[in-house]
Amino acid sequence: MGYEPLVKKNPLRVLNLAGNDKKMGLIMARAGLGKTALLVQIALDSILRGKRVVHISIGENLEKTKLWYDDMLEIILQKCSVAKPHELIDMVQQHRMIMSFKESAFNRARLEERLNDLILQDIFKPDCVVIDGFDFTNMDHGELEDINNLMESLRLQTWFSATSHREDDRVSPSGVPAPCHELDDLFETVVLLKSEQKNVQLEIIRHNSDACSGDSYHLSLIRQL
Amino acid sequence: MNKDLDKVRNIGISAHIDSGKTTLTERILYYTQRIHAIHEVRGKDGVGATMDSMELEKERGITIQSAATYCSWKDIDVNIIDTPGHVDFTVEVERALRVLDGAVLILCSVGGVQSQSITVDRQMTRYNVPRIAFINKCDRTGANPERVVGQLRDKLNLNAVMIQLPIGLESELEGMVDLVTMKAIYFDGDQGDDIRYDEIPDHLKDDAEEKREELLDAVSMFSEELMEAMMEEEEIPVELIHAAIRKGTLDLELAPVMIGSAYKNKGVQPLLDAVEAYLPCPTDVVNTALDLDNDEEEMTVSNNPDDPLVALAFKLEDGRYGQLTYVRTYQGTLRKGETIFNTRTGKKVKVGRLVRMHSNEMEEIEEAGSGDIVGLFGVDCASGDTFCDSKVNWSMSSMHVPAPVISLAITPIDNKAQDNMSKALNRFSKEDPTFKTFVDHETSETIISGMGELHLEVYIERMKREYNAEVEVGAPRVAYREAITQHADFNYTHKKQTGGSGQFGRVGGHMEPLEEEEYEFVDQIVGGVIPREYIPSCDKGFQASMEKGMLIGAPITGIRCLINDGSYHAVDSSDMAFQQAAKGAFKEGYKNAGPVIMEPIMKVSVEGPSEFQGSIMGSLNQRRGMIVGTSEEGSYTVVEADMPLSEMFGYSTTLRSLTQGKAEFTMEFSTYKQVPKSVSEELIKEYAESRKNG
Repeated sequence: MGYEPLVKKNPLRVLNLAGNDKKMGLIMARAGLGKTALLVQIALDSILRGKRVVHISIGENLEKTKLWYDDMLEIILQKCSVAKPHELIDMVQQHRMIMSFKESAFNRARLEERLNDLILQDIFKPDCVVIDGFDFTNMDHGELEDINNLMESLRLQTWFSATSHREDDRVSPSGVPAPCHELDDLFETVVLLKSEQKNVQLEIIRHNSDACSGDSYHLSLIRQL
Repeated sequence: MNKDLDKVRNIGISAHIDSGKTTLTERILYYTQRIHAIHEVRGKDGVGATMDSMELEKERGITIQSAATYCSWKDIDVNIIDTPGHVDFTVEVERALRVLDGAVLILCSVGGVQSQSITVDRQMTRYNVPRIAFINKCDRTGANPERVVGQLRDKLNLNAVMIQLPIGLESELEGMVDLVTMKAIYFDGDQGDDIRYDEIPDHLKDDAEEKREELLDAVSMFSEELMEAMMEEEEIPVELIHAAIRKGTLDLELAPVMIGSAYKNKGVQPLLDAVEAYLPCPTDVVNTALDLDNDEEEMTVSNNPDDPLVALAFKLEDGRYGQLTYVRTYQGTLRKGETIFNTRTGKKVKVGRLVRMHSNEMEEIEEAGSGDIVGLFGVDCASGDTFCDSKVNWSMSSMHVPAPVISLAITPIDNKAQDNMSKALNRFSKEDPTFKTFVDHETSETIISGMGELHLEVYIERMKREYNAEVEVGAPRVAYREAITQHADFNYTHKKQTGGSGQFGRVGGHMEPLEEEEYEFVDQIVGGVIPREYIPSCDKGFQASMEKGMLIGAPITGIRCLINDGSYHAVDSSDMAFQQAAKGAFKEGYKNAGPVIMEPIMKVSVEGPSEFQGSIMGSLNQRRGMIVGTSEEGSYTVVEADMPLSEMFGYSTTLRSLTQGKAEFTMEFSTYKQVPKSVSEELIKEYAESRKNG
């Protein structure tokens, strides 16, 4: 498709996203550190690799979510020269579907119904789903396992974002903070965004992966103001 | 006439279709004593609402043209533009917004922020129009003003704050609590004429206190005085709150929300008070014009009635006494009997009759000061023209006019209809910049084009009713275009030298795709290989070629033609010869430039119950649509998609049967995109066949 340079250059390569695993990933941070931005990056990276992405936005409207993509694409196009920018923009639109839900309207049954609507009618066959704004506060292990099974059966790679809070200092043995500290075994990869002076530090925790079990990687992002 | 500009309000009323705009306007006219009885839009009395002056509107229950109406409330003069709600007529909405200082955005308490409200709101933002929201139909089952306020915040990004609290809802709607004065308002009498202020009912007291706190929190940032008073926990003067709300509204940082039911005569008078209190007067708004004598430099209009005149014609109507032109004056004074000139045509015209419009009746006036909206008779102009006196040559900034996307062939049924039809078409194209008409030279058919099926349908109806012109209508056609995708060279010799005076010309160069612009001609001829006088002939030849593409005969857009070579003959070269040579060269280059067919893509938004989301998406997908996304709010879903216009014919019927009539859709033009190969082949085949048969 001719976007290999963009894919290769992407620092997200350290997450090893191109692997064929259909496991779940999680991005955690306190409010305002860039969870959505990172999710959109992950989605764009998948799209550039020719995959189709469903972006589920909980509590945020369609228009704003579209803006995230437009802004990110604009930055990418400014930094890297692409022969036909319009084709890239069209390609992203064709490989992306945004579904926005009001907090109260989202649940597992609804998710399954919507994904089936898309897949069975041959409207859109996603390879990857990113779910932004999902509330983990009252989620028990069984419920998330249920979602995991659903995504596995549909052969979908899934990325969640979750907000951690300063006042809640519970942490899992591998270092995943509340509210996901008891759910961390369900995620293949957990990325923690931490604010450190001028930078945002990415700490990558892996589970169950043969190659780098328990290892943690660091990547730091320069904050653009 | 009232000269005090701060006592003038030019407001628009706009909203989603069927939110009750016309009903509300009707009530406003009644309470301001402009009319003496209330008629319903779909009234049983057969009279119809006063604002819907066209018969057709009465029949369809929709408002097509924005009639400007004047009324006075207490000591202020209000000019109201009743704007159409259907998306096919957005040019009307946009033109109305251009001349307004403020607006009332009407929302249905059940339907909430619907797709059309979003379009209208986007347009209001484009023209920086401060607005008040009015949540209408609070008497309907399922009314939920709080939910609508939430949507105003989420979907429109407005800082929406309720300044009233309903007393009862649905069939129990009695009145409302004014959170600024903390009084209950009731509407007594058959038509709600008698306003009664009373104590807040006990069961609402706590709620009202809480909501008032919210209101004060929200508006305190617009007034330091108010913030201080709040900190000191003093009794807060009502005027201070009003002033803060007004400031926030004018800065477009706040949208006060009012509630009521126009149909049940509740909440209209407080809305008028809010129009006075919170919406801008002409001097509160900065309007700019372009100075045509000074390289279109942006100038701010002064609003001063003593300065040179600048007035904008924003609406034309055919009345009993000839063309009626609605104008808004931005500075200076328009006087009966004076001579003004049209800055577009440079023509001078005399102001014959000057009138103030009251929907269907009018009042003769002698002069109109700046900021006013009045009607002019006997002035020949097009919509969007600017009038000045001889002292300045300004033009109000050009208005955004989208290109037509759909066309129809019409054939008059007899000679009489033929005459009337041309009169009607002439009028419509003057009135509405998105309505175009021309004669197809090959088929001799008259073609009309516009922004959607409904748009054209309405004009066909109007032709029949107002001009007595019956026409046969062909199937709607999408306005395809052709474009090239790559660079191609040409080098063509036009030669005819057998007997008599000959013709000779050779044109060489290349063509390439051009983004954004329609056409560009570049002359790089050196050494006089094509004589100077024939360069414009080449340009003309290229332009003529672009009228009809070779794939399907659609107009070609987005081409740069560059010439850098050629030759001529001292005797046989002529203007005609070079035009022909350029046409030949264009043909030669076009074949190799990867020509493609482009089709209009519409931004479509379908709203309906969530249970139908799957089938709605399926139906859009079948029609070559690209679904952009969905947004789901409990039981209600909106699906947004980019759809080829050609696939949308008859969609309303499909949608109705799919969803038991519970879903509706709106669309507006978005962009032109290349058609897929299979469709392109089909179109080319069809075109070839039609040429064979024709």
